[in-house]
Amino acid sequence: MRPEYEYARLQHLTRRHFLSKCSTGLGAMWLAMQGRSWGSAGALVKDPASPLAPAPPLIAPRAKRIIYLHMAGAPSQHELFDYKPELAKLNGKECPQEFLEGKQFAFIQGVPKMLGPQFSFSQHGRSGAWVSDRLPEFSKVVDDVCFIKSMHTDQFNHGPAQLLVHTGSQNLGAPSIGAWATYGLGSENQNLPGFIVLTSGGRNPDGGKSLWGSGYLPSVYQGVQCRSEGEPVLYLDNPPGVSRDLRRRSLDALDKLNASIAEEVGDPETVTRVSQYEMAYRMQSSATDAFDISKEPEWVHQLYGTQPGKEAFANNCLLARRLAERGTRFIQLFHWGWDSHGAAASEALNKGFTDRCNEVDRAMSGLLIDLKQRGLLEDTLVVWGGEFGRTPMQENRGGEEMAFVGRDHNPGGFTIWLAGGGVKPGFSFGETDPIGYEAVKDKVSVHDLHATMLHLLGFDHEKLVFPSQGANQRLTNITKPGTKVVKGILA
Amino acid sequence: MEFNRDIRPIFTKHCTSCHGGVKEAGGVSLVYRDKLLKPAESDKIPVIPGDPAGSELMKRVRHSDPDEIMPPPKHGPALSSDEIAKLEAWIASGAEWQEHWAFVTPAPQAAPDVSSKDWPKQELDRFVLARLEREKLAPSPEADGAEWLRRVSFDLTGLPPAETELADLKNAADPEAARAAIVDRLLATPAFGERWAAMWLDLARYSDTTGFEKDPHRDIWPYRDWVVRAFNADMPYDRFTIEQLAGDLLPNPTAEQRLASAFHRNTQTNTEGGTDDEEYRVAAVTDRINTTWTAWQATTFGCVQCHAHPYDPFPHDDYFRFMAFFDGTEDCDQDDDFPKMRWANDAAKRDEATRLELRIRELRAALNAPGAALIQQESWSALGIDGFAPTHGKLVASADGTVRAEGTLPVGCTHVVSAPAADFRALRLGVLPESDNPKDWPERGSLVTEWKVALAAADGTRTDIPFSAVYAEKMSGPREPNPGGNLGEYPKLNGPVSFVLVAKEAVTAPPDARIEVSMKQGASTTGNQATSLRRFRIDRSNDPVWTELASSPDRAALAKELREARGGLNAIPGTHVPVMMERFPAAIRETRVFARGNRLSKEHVVKPGLPELLTGGDGQFADRLAMARWLVDGKNPLTARVMANRLWSELFGIGIVETNEDFGTSGTLPSDQALLDFLALRFQNEHRWSVKSLLREIVLSATYRQTHRAPEVLVARDPQNRLLARGPRNRLSAEMVRDQMLAVSGLLAPRPEGGPPVFPPQPDGVWRSVYSGAKWNTSEGPDRYRRALHTYVKRTSGFPGFLTFDGPTRDICTARRIVSNTPLQALVTMNDPAHIEGARAFAKRIAAHPGDLRSKLSFGVMLATQRVAAPAMLDELAALHADALATYQKDPALAEQLAATPEDAALVLTANTLLNLDSTLTR
Repeated sequence: MRPEYEYARLQHLTRRHFLSKCSTGLGAMWLAMQGRSWGSAGALVKDPASPLAPAPPLIAPRAKRIIYLHMAGAPSQHELFDYKPELAKLNGKECPQEFLEGKQFAFIQGVPKMLGPQFSFSQHGRSGAWVSDRLPEFSKVVDDVCFIKSMHTDQFNHGPAQLLVHTGSQNLGAPSIGAWATYGLGSENQNLPGFIVLTSGGRNPDGGKSLWGSGYLPSVYQGVQCRSEGEPVLYLDNPPGVSRDLRRRSLDALDKLNASIAEEVGDPETVTRVSQYEMAYRMQSSATDAFDISKEPEWVHQLYGTQPGKEAFANNCLLARRLAERGTRFIQLFHWGWDSHGAAASEALNKGFTDRCNEVDRAMSGLLIDLKQRGLLEDTLVVWGGEFGRTPMQENRGGEEMAFVGRDHNPGGFTIWLAGGGVKPGFSFGETDPIGYEAVKDKVSVHDLHATMLHLLGFDHEKLVFPSQGANQRLTNITKPGTKVVKGILA
Repeated sequence: MEFNRDIRPIFTKHCTSCHGGVKEAGGVSLVYRDKLLKPAESDKIPVIPGDPAGSELMKRVRHSDPDEIMPPPKHGPALSSDEIAKLEAWIASGAEWQEHWAFVTPAPQAAPDVSSKDWPKQELDRFVLARLEREKLAPSPEADGAEWLRRVSFDLTGLPPAETELADLKNAADPEAARAAIVDRLLATPAFGERWAAMWLDLARYSDTTGFEKDPHRDIWPYRDWVVRAFNADMPYDRFTIEQLAGDLLPNPTAEQRLASAFHRNTQTNTEGGTDDEEYRVAAVTDRINTTWTAWQATTFGCVQCHAHPYDPFPHDDYFRFMAFFDGTEDCDQDDDFPKMRWANDAAKRDEATRLELRIRELRAALNAPGAALIQQESWSALGIDGFAPTHGKLVASADGTVRAEGTLPVGCTHVVSAPAADFRALRLGVLPESDNPKDWPERGSLVTEWKVALAAADGTRTDIPFSAVYAEKMSGPREPNPGGNLGEYPKLNGPVSFVLVAKEAVTAPPDARIEVSMKQGASTTGNQATSLRRFRIDRSNDPVWTELASSPDRAALAKELREARGGLNAIPGTHVPVMMERFPAAIRETRVFARGNRLSKEHVVKPGLPELLTGGDGQFADRLAMARWLVDGKNPLTARVMANRLWSELFGIGIVETNEDFGTSGTLPSDQALLDFLALRFQNEHRWSVKSLLREIVLSATYRQTHRAPEVLVARDPQNRLLARGPRNRLSAEMVRDQMLAVSGLLAPRPEGGPPVFPPQPDGVWRSVYSGAKWNTSEGPDRYRRALHTYVKRTSGFPGFLTFDGPTRDICTARRIVSNTPLQALVTMNDPAHIEGARAFAKRIAAHPGDLRSKLSFGVMLATQRVAAPAMLDELAALHADALATYQKDPALAEQLAATPEDAALVLTANTLLNLDSTLTR
């Protein structure tokens, strides 16, 4: 039997398998979509033989892909976007008791002092967005950006809060947004992973690889951590001594041998394996090409501030654009070092914080400019933010004055921004109280943000579900009801 | 009419998401029969047995008004006429109820009659065949020796068969006896335990790190080796269960039994700065509950944490009654994983170390007991504190004699208080919570780390008062109280606790002197959060009983024995492994129901217990040990079924119940309940919980022996092979992919005795945990070539090759790996340097085989797949080899990067290709 024919047979078989026996996994997903309380408004049918094949969303999408820039450690809203003159007035005063009652802090003890904004703010663009002087490049692109200043979460430690912001659950074991997105939509490019994760040097984020895990979804939807140094995908390169031609030759032999095994045994998985090996072969060239930024013209490097060969956030921003162009569904970037407690220079508002701003300012602004000029911003949603906010009080770790200026973790209020794919440009949504402590107006929970991201991708967050632990689980945690799409930011 | 078959599926499909255990819309729940027979909020009765016309349920499913019909049109389609007819018939016949099949104890199953009497080899085959005959299908022919041997070797040992086994099987005079002998050999090899431990460790969420942010190292590998030993010794599953869940509570436990209890210390510890130790202690306890239910009962009990179960009849309190079994242990999310046992390096000293550790605990209790009994009984008078000199914050006295600290109390702050002099023999420090409401407990810890008392005379001279003994109202946690400090509770204060400090000699105070008490609070939890003394009182007593107690010969003898026991223990070097350990009885926590699962909003107190649904009686059970015994008492409807199903799924690739993790209403129904119940009861009764015996029976069955070669029509009819008309064909597991490569290439370095985790080659830069200096230092020598089981497991950064082949992260209990087939897997086996190293060694073995190239290649095929290569296959491989050789001869520099010579390099590429064959990657 010819391999092509065999492949067609397999597709037939697995679909039949899928439709006749779908009691768990992908099949159950389909069933769940058909199921009782959700009604039958559109079914997500996945073919287990090619689980990452592009699939249409359930409602009209505004974005085809997401680039998520996570600032691990939680950047201070007080020093970037959430300008509060009231807080400046309170600088150095003892924190009033009303701000402390019923609060649990990671490090603050007893009665801390209030801390005014550490940098000067001004308004920018036609939209008049407030941005501090730490982000001069970003100040020029604010008219493309939609701020949410009323974010809040319920976790105040990094690991759990990052898990919450990426998986909807503070505990390990739930799938990440990128896994949900590739599960729902597949990938537009079968020769690249559909969900790619890039970390900028240094370290992995506090939440570890679970932040891009597949949780209870099939493992094929987990994010693939790529590297901007060396081989971009683990084991992508042929071993030394095996040229691309020789790999092709060995795959030709393997394909033929496997085709005869398929004919002899009749196991459809064998035919799937042949196609997976061919996909791996194509991935070797397409991923290598996608990750080679050295061919970008000089003006592009100027725009992002990139230096080929360096493992930096800027390089990852440029890679994000290249991957977006190539149809990668979800591109997750991690930058780190934003945990500005003030316990050391590297994590002080008056030192490390400025370094972090310098590392991201040109790069993220360049990304927005570049996406826009290529027409990609229209259907690419860019999301920027940390896992929680920071206190308007100065941290006093151990109840003592600290060597540097810093702020403690604050789940009550923080700022994120979005751009592109279906959100209002040059817009600011929601407010915190006069000292930037608690979100008070148009509050947006992490789950609301998730629902909105899924909405922009074309999914009702209550309908993109997967059965696990006896319930139809979803990104917007079923144990935290009341989640809503943030309609106010939709363009 | 059968409720489970005919009626419950209608409820589950159309009704229970609104009328279930969580949401009881209109006061109607279809999960409990008694609720269906009672008036709902509308005062109408959903079901009146025998009276369909009077039953509201029938009216509503038939209603023509879109506002009245059930389910409402926007929720789903109306019931079919067939479904309505079934409901009507069911109510008319009395609305008999059945519990869900899995909650009903399995009944003995007689093997059914079959027409093909010759086919069955085991009793189980008759169940399979009867089903096939009903479906008008014939079993597939028996697999040839090679196919069966490969399958059974991987299934039982996780490794390919030894070369000699195939020849033995072929040449055997009695093939039946030869197969049995092979199975017995496989069951007896140490590799057996390693293969089945790999399965169990997914359930145990075994990891060499603690999880979360820094994800630091944890020494718990002796537990991994315990699991291997238990499987190899064929420890009966009932004992296997009891020792892992409650080995520490067995009378006079051995070191092995305590080690087994590390099963539930594989929970995560959060060492991130500023985390609340109670939050993550509760998270660990919750994980223990959910894991126990998933692993042993395949029940999604986690649902019940927040509310009554949505589909299965478990009320909300059941969760917390069960939590009480696990709530009493000492562990409390400490960075050092306290408490631990000493696992002696010298096997001969392990039980002695355990005896000493437990004796030390007994002695501590014995030393404390006489005083503890008197702490609240003796008459005390308030010290009369009227002087306050705290180093930080402010101290405020209350009318009731307690003192409250206000303001910022940093680590190291010291409360100095003083009182007019009075004679005393003992002082009593009461460490008090800020709130008097037990629902607010526990609070942040409160610990005096240094306790100093002095007598200040009027002339300014100060005399320190030494203390000889301390008695604690209750002892708990990692900090042992002593006369100089560690008074209070750490890391959490679970309520008021008092300490009596006995002065070395009776204190007689001059009238104008003052008593000065200085209490430093130097301890903090992770992230430098001070465990300060926020409220306290101090009393004095001049009763000679205290001095007598403290200086009694009994006490001296106990103290001496304690010193000796500690000395003896310290002389035994070993690995410190976290294990389960109950708190002292006085310090047992009170378990309360969490409103909507939120630990910060506590309700009433509950006692340990099990769901009445499963126990019949009132569900009261004394402790964790009683709970573990109940799981395996032979009456539990789930335990044997769940394990038999798990073993079956490991062999056939899919369980009789496909959802290994969920036998409840939301899981899948068994494809053949009679077969499952037969296997379960056989495992539990005839085989007396012997895993090896059950596996032996299955792998020698006619069902398992069928060939996996299947005609298209059969695959189309039964793609998942639920009917078992052919043999199983499964992809190798993540562990098997690596182990086979090592075995085939001859690199495998067995380590049946186990040991610390090893670091086979992994790409640079994979490990990058934040705030962690942990490095992947690639093992050299034999440790580079250990079985996958021994590879270091890091939760936040799993071994890439294993994750790609569906290995779980071990964050939580995983009852089933869903097998995928992806291009990233191809990259691993083609390009991973470890697999290339394997291909090189494999090529050397092939090259060393006598004969021409074709016989060498044939030998390679045999090693990798146990098959005799067909001529066409050898043609293909030889052609590949020839082309590669030609390339390498033209470009020797290229060849050199792979092997010493162009000839070698061509063979390495060929070997690499062989290791990627579909037949090589499946079993």
